[in-house]
Amino acid sequence: MTHREKIDARGAFCPGPLMELIAGLKLVEVGDEIEVWSSDKGSAKDIPEWIAKVGHELVENEECEGYWSVVVRRAK
Amino acid sequence: MGAKPLFILLCSGEHEKIQMTAMMASVAAVSERPVTVLVTMNALAAFEKGLDRSRRYKGGNFSKLMIDKEAPDAFGLLGQGKALGDLRIHVCSMALDIHGWTLDNLADDLFDGELGLTRFLSDAEAGDLVTM
Repeated sequence: MTHREKIDARGAFCPGPLMELIAGLKLVEVGDEIEVWSSDKGSAKDIPEWIAKVGHELVENEECEGYWSVVVRRAK
Repeated sequence: MGAKPLFILLCSGEHEKIQMTAMMASVAAVSERPVTVLVTMNALAAFEKGLDRSRRYKGGNFSKLMIDKEAPDAFGLLGQGKALGDLRIHVCSMALDIHGWTLDNLADDLFDGELGLTRFLSDAEAGDLVTM
């Protein structure tokens, strides 16, 4: 069963949410997921860009009430 | 083939330029791009050991905004870049000499040693060089 960790980075400015996501990914197993919440619009675009660049899997990218929720699955 | 290395020459002591250097360096490093930063000239003073944030940064309007809104600190970003990616930070030998400093005068856990300009420029031929 896929394990999902949540990171609430709301209130943090770019590149804070990205850095928190990356630190979180280092701590989970391949196949597990991280859900990061960010109120920073730049990060909402930067995070999917980073995911694509380094080769992880974007599971979900959803705009919520006042923040974005991005779910990434660790692929390597 | 690996990503093209990024070399950043940080000369300015302005908070905005130090912050931008830290942001570029850390994001590039965590994006699997090797980064080397060479700190020199007026930038050196910001890295003196023992300075608190209010004395470390001198800047303009955007500096004030970053401090007021608690934007990620440059030193914190550089530390994250080193921990999570391939980021090396060196201090210019000449700048240390002019100050009469050694590495011991600089903030802990950031610097990977002294570097001369000749070696830095030679290494930078293999990548992109940005001057701040």
